[in-house]
Amino acid sequence: MADLDLNEKLAALLARAGLGDKNAFATLYDTTKSKLFAVSLRIVRERHIAEEVLQDSFVNIWNNASNYAVAKASPMTWMSAIVRNRSLDIVRRPHLEIQDEEEFFTLNLEDQSLGPQDQLTQGRDVAQVEVCLNGLEADQRQTISLAFFHGLSHSELSTHLNKPLGTIKTHIRRGLLKLKDCLNDHVEYTPQDGGRP
Amino acid sequence: MKHVTPVVRSQLAGEYVLGTMRGGARRRFEQFLKSDYALRAEVARWEADLTPMAERLKPITPPDHVWANIQARIGGANVATAAKTPAASWFDSVKFWRGFGMGAAALATVLLATLVTFRSNVETQDPMMLAVLEDGGNARMVVEQPKSGLLMVKMIKPWKTMADKSMELWVIPKIGAPRSLGVINDDGETKLAMTDMEVRLTDGTVFALTREDRGGSPTGAPTSSVLCKGTIARMPPKTDQNASKKSSSPI
Repeated sequence: MADLDLNEKLAALLARAGLGDKNAFATLYDTTKSKLFAVSLRIVRERHIAEEVLQDSFVNIWNNASNYAVAKASPMTWMSAIVRNRSLDIVRRPHLEIQDEEEFFTLNLEDQSLGPQDQLTQGRDVAQVEVCLNGLEADQRQTISLAFFHGLSHSELSTHLNKPLGTIKTHIRRGLLKLKDCLNDHVEYTPQDGGRP
Repeated sequence: MKHVTPVVRSQLAGEYVLGTMRGGARRRFEQFLKSDYALRAEVARWEADLTPMAERLKPITPPDHVWANIQARIGGANVATAAKTPAASWFDSVKFWRGFGMGAAALATVLLATLVTFRSNVETQDPMMLAVLEDGGNARMVVEQPKSGLLMVKMIKPWKTMADKSMELWVIPKIGAPRSLGVINDDGETKLAMTDMEVRLTDGTVFALTREDRGGSPTGAPTSSVLCKGTIARMPPKTDQNASKKSSSPI
């Protein structure tokens, strides 16, 4: 479960940044930059593009910090969503070389036993999402994981997994429905609106 | 979007957050989001569910220039490092310095003159000396002496960081060999304080920066070519408050 202290600290920094406090914004950047850079780099795959994404995202975060609403999303989720959206907006990928899904999880995800610092930056109940993800059929889980972590589009998934586009779409649609059902069974709170920038 | 069923709306929101919705569809969906509160709520639910998974990725530290660029774009003062001088906003601003294309010595001189004219009646201390260090016409660094025994160094456009190298600042006197002023941070701001600063700065005409072995030149003299340099502009010694107010050309 998320460490409330860090979420509260990040929320406070965002609130101060929203009032124009650049020191608070600098601390916010330092605290979150490495996590968010990893999120973008995984999707866009080129460092200089990920750097641009991070720059654009933090300018966006600065400009919209006053719109952030604590009750509606955790600070880390709000910022990650901004970085992911920006990455997905600008990703261009002529050549595709994606690691095997299993290899990806081994190489790129932190241990299940997260250190205190890592637990600090967790949003809500990641473990629950992963339990639900593991409950999907293998094809659905693979397709959804590749889409989420690597930012693959339908046609890229089709090429990479060597399956027809229709099959890919079905895996995603059914996988998402099942994921949602599973998560709803374990729901803790329901955000009303993301306070999107 | 209102005419589609709740299940399909949730489905589309899920695909948007998952990232499989791309290109034109993604842009159209974002248009809908602007005016559709319920759809935003649906997206927020998916984000709360899925996005935290991204935080499981191993952190990767971005290079320092990303922060410098962010600061330049939000028009901000450099706040990444704690060192601060009173009323030093112009000194801090990367954007401010990047805006200049004129020669370093001329720029430093004009700035000192401007400061004397505009700031002498406020309670801030004018710098004793100032230099803008250039590399082929590009301002890369500013060195300011706010008071005796202290130098403030500000990187405007940093070089690539090298793990086994350090940046070393030198003052080149009218006659004689360069004297070291110490190692500075690869980016951001550095405060150099030393008791024999004035001795080292005696007759100094130019500041120069070189890349040396980690921790500074082992020989005490520069061992590599100059990365950037700038002529020092000095403030005339003040006799009283009014003297500086009247002076429009301090050099």
